[in-house]
Amino acid sequence: MFVIALFMMASVSIQAQQPAQSDMLNSVAKLKRIEAMQPDSIQPKYQLALQSLSFAVTYPHAPQTENMIAEAEQAIAKMEQIKHADQSDICTLRGFLYMVRIVQNPAQNGQRYYIDVMQNYEKALKLNPNNQLAKQLQQKFLEGMKQQTDKQK
Amino acid sequence: MPYLCGMKHRIAHIVLMLLAVCNLTAQTTISGIVTYGREPLAGANVFILGTINGCLTDSLGRFSFTTSQTGEATLKATFIGYEDYTLTADISLMHNLTIQMNKQTTTINEVIVTASTFSFGKSDNFKTMDALDVVMAGNSCGDIVAALQTLPGMQKVGENGKLYVRGGESDECQTFVNGMHVLVPYSTNTENTAVRGRFSPFLFKGINFSLGGYSGEYGQALSSVLPMETTDAATSDKLGVSASLVDWNIGGTKAYQNSSLSFNAALTSMGLYDRLFTQRQEFNRPYRKLSGETQYKKEFNASSVLKSYVGYDFTLVGQHIDGRNLLLKEHNIYANVTHRASIGRGYSLFTGIANSSVLTDIDDARMVGDHYHNFRNEVHLKAEIRKVCSNVLKVSTGVENYIRNSTMRYDAYHYQLNYDILAAHVDAQWRIIPRVFLNASARAEFMKSDCLLMPRTTLSYIPNKHLQFSLVGGRSSQTIADDYLAQSRGDFTQTTADHAIFSMQYKSDATLLRIEPYWKKYHHLPLSEDGVYQPHGYGTSRGVDVFVEDHSLVKHLTTTLSYSFNDSERLYLDYTEVQTPDYASRHNLRLTAKYAIGKTIIGLAESYASGRHFPTGTTPHYNSVDVNLTYLLSPKVIVYTSLNNIFGRTNIFRYDANANPVVPSRDRFLYIGIFVSLKNNKAYDISNF
Repeated sequence: MFVIALFMMASVSIQAQQPAQSDMLNSVAKLKRIEAMQPDSIQPKYQLALQSLSFAVTYPHAPQTENMIAEAEQAIAKMEQIKHADQSDICTLRGFLYMVRIVQNPAQNGQRYYIDVMQNYEKALKLNPNNQLAKQLQQKFLEGMKQQTDKQK
Repeated sequence: MPYLCGMKHRIAHIVLMLLAVCNLTAQTTISGIVTYGREPLAGANVFILGTINGCLTDSLGRFSFTTSQTGEATLKATFIGYEDYTLTADISLMHNLTIQMNKQTTTINEVIVTASTFSFGKSDNFKTMDALDVVMAGNSCGDIVAALQTLPGMQKVGENGKLYVRGGESDECQTFVNGMHVLVPYSTNTENTAVRGRFSPFLFKGINFSLGGYSGEYGQALSSVLPMETTDAATSDKLGVSASLVDWNIGGTKAYQNSSLSFNAALTSMGLYDRLFTQRQEFNRPYRKLSGETQYKKEFNASSVLKSYVGYDFTLVGQHIDGRNLLLKEHNIYANVTHRASIGRGYSLFTGIANSSVLTDIDDARMVGDHYHNFRNEVHLKAEIRKVCSNVLKVSTGVENYIRNSTMRYDAYHYQLNYDILAAHVDAQWRIIPRVFLNASARAEFMKSDCLLMPRTTLSYIPNKHLQFSLVGGRSSQTIADDYLAQSRGDFTQTTADHAIFSMQYKSDATLLRIEPYWKKYHHLPLSEDGVYQPHGYGTSRGVDVFVEDHSLVKHLTTTLSYSFNDSERLYLDYTEVQTPDYASRHNLRLTAKYAIGKTIIGLAESYASGRHFPTGTTPHYNSVDVNLTYLLSPKVIVYTSLNNIFGRTNIFRYDANANPVVPSRDRFLYIGIFVSLKNNKAYDISNF
C-alpha cells in the first residue's frame, strides 16, 4: 500500500493539466507492475483502471487508447471477482468507462451510453454518498453534456 | 548549534551520496526487443516481476532498464491482446533478449458465437438496438415485433404482423422474459388485422433473437426463440408520459437503496384515428387496449438479484363483418419472479416461476348468435445451475416444468386439456483448441408417457475478431396448438424439427456481413385424417439469409440490407398434398437507411416480399416504402413520427376461400408520438422503468 501511495502522489491526477502521453503510459505501466506484485489486492487494480481511463479520456483518439480501455475493462472485471471489492468504486469506474466511450464519439455514443453513465454514478453515490470521485466525474459529465446540447441549439 | 546542524547535513549528504554510488554499482541493465512474428511490438510492458523496475518498449519494440535485483529473477512482458511472456533466469543473462509474444486466445467466457442469433445490447458494436432504436426503427411504431421484422429470415405476413421465421409458423417462435416462457406474447385483434408485441421495448436491456440452433436451455419452440432480459434496478426516480394519435402512456419508478418499484399504465385506442382517417373495415367498437405493468427488482448484493414482473392487458374490439357484429374481449395476464445468485466456487443458481393466463371471449365469432370462449393457462417452473470450470470449459444444467390447462367452448363443441411437460438439459461450452469452440447440449422432454431426447451442437471456428464460421445442428420440439391437440384423440405428443445451419460472419469497424444457409426438416406435424389430427405430417424448409450493415458510406449514415430466400413445403393440417405453406414467400428483402443530422434522425425503409400461394391464386408481391423522423426537442422530450407505405400501394396479403383479396384496413398509416420525461434527470431516457 505504501508503494502505491507514494506512486500515486507522483502520478498524474485527472484534475491536473494535460500530462504528456508518454508520462501517462508509463504511469499505467508502473501500476500494472505494482498490480502484478500484489495480485490479490484491490487498490492496484482500482488505480490501474482509473489511470487507464484517465489516459483514454485525455487522448480519446490516440493509437493506444483502445488498449487502455481494454486494460481498464480487465482491471474492473478482476475487481468484480474479488468478494469484498467496494461496489461503489466499481460503479464509478464503470460509469467512467462509458463516459470515455461518449468522449470518443459524442454523436453516436452520447445517446447510447448516457443512461449507463448516469446510472453507474448514481448507484456509486447511493452505495457511498461520500465517493468524491463519483461526485466529481458526475459533475464533469453533466457539464460536458450541457455544453454539447447547448452547441446543438 | 548551527555548526552542528551544518555538520549533520554534510554527513547526511555524504551518506546519501555513498548510498547512491553503492546503489549505482549494483544496477544491472536489462535490454532486448519484443516482437510478434517479425513485427516489433511498441508499448509492451517489460518488467521484473515483484518490482516496479521496467519500461515500455519503444516504437521499434526495444526496451532497456536497470534493476538493483541480483541472482535469479522473473522477467515479464505484457501487452493487451497477447499472452503474457515470462522468463526466469539469472539477471546477469538478461540482456539483448528477443521476446516473441503470442496473440491471446479467446477464453470461453469471452467468446460470443453469433451464428443464427441477433443480439441487441450494448456489448457489440453492431445492432446495438436499445429501446430508443426500437421506437425509431422503420415502421415499428415502438413495437419490438415490428422492429425485429427488419432482420433476415423474417417473412412478411401482413394480415397478422407476427414473427414467421425461416419458413416456420408464427407459433414456432417463442418468447422468454428473464428466461421464463410467455404463453401469448402478442396483443390480440380481429382477423386480418396486424397485432403488436405485448411488451414495451423500454422493459428490456437485452434481446437475443435466435433463428435456430439455440442451446438446450430453450424448449417448446420449433423454429426460433426470443429471450429478453429486463433492465436492472433503477438508480433514480422516474416519471414519464407519452402520447400519440393511438396510445397514451404514463409510468414511473421509485428507486430505493438496493431496489426499485415501477409501474406503467397505457391506453391504446383507435377511436380518434378511425374518426380522422377512413378505412375499409367497419369497426362498431374501435380497438381499445388497457394495459398495466409493474416491476419490483432487488439487488441483495452484487451477485444476487431478484426480478419480478406483472403485466395485464384488457382488449375490446367490435367489428361489423359479413352481416354480424363480432365482439372480441381478451384478458391477458403474465407474471414472473426470478432469482439469480452466485453460490460460491464459480457456481451460479437461477430459479424462476412464471404464470400466463389468457381469457378470450368472442360474440358472433363465425355466425350471428354464436359465442366462442377460450381460457389458457401455463405455469412455468425452472431451475438452472451454471459453472465456469476453467478458461476452456463452461457447463450448465437445469430442469423445468410446463403445466398447461386449456378450456374451449364454441356453442356445443368444447374441450378441456390438462397436461404438463417436464424437461431437463445439460449444456457444455468447450474451447477444444485455440480458436475452435464447441457448444454441445442435450435436452430431454417428457410428456405423457413419451420421452424425447434432443441433441444440439454448434461448432465454431473464430480465426480472429473479424471472422466467424459456425456449423449448427440439432433437434427442437413443440407441442401442437391446443385446438389440434384436442382433436387428436390423445395420441399426439410433440412435433419436432431438425435444424442444420452454416453461418459465416465478417465484421470490421464499419461493416457487418453475415451469410447463413439453413435447412430444416419437420416431423410429426399435425395432419387431418378423417377429422382427427394425427402426427403424420412432415415438411422441409431451406434457404439462405444475407445481412449487411454498414456505417462507412457517409458519416452518421447507417444502412442495412436483409435478404432471405426460402423454399419450404409441408404436408400438414388439411393439406392433401405436399405444398408451400400459404404464409411463406420465396423472397424477402428489406433495405433501411438511418441518418442523423443534429437533433434529427431520419429513417427510410423499403420492404419487399414475393407473392404467396393460396389455393385460389398467388398474391402479387408486397411492397412498402416507409419513412420516419425523430426529433430531440429537448433532452427530455422526443417527438417521433412515421408514415408507412408512403406511395399508398394496396398490398394484397392473401386470398380467402372465395378468392377475395384480403387487404389492409388502410394503405398508409401515420404515427405521431411525443415522449416526455417529467421527473427523470437524464436525457434521452424516455423509459419509465
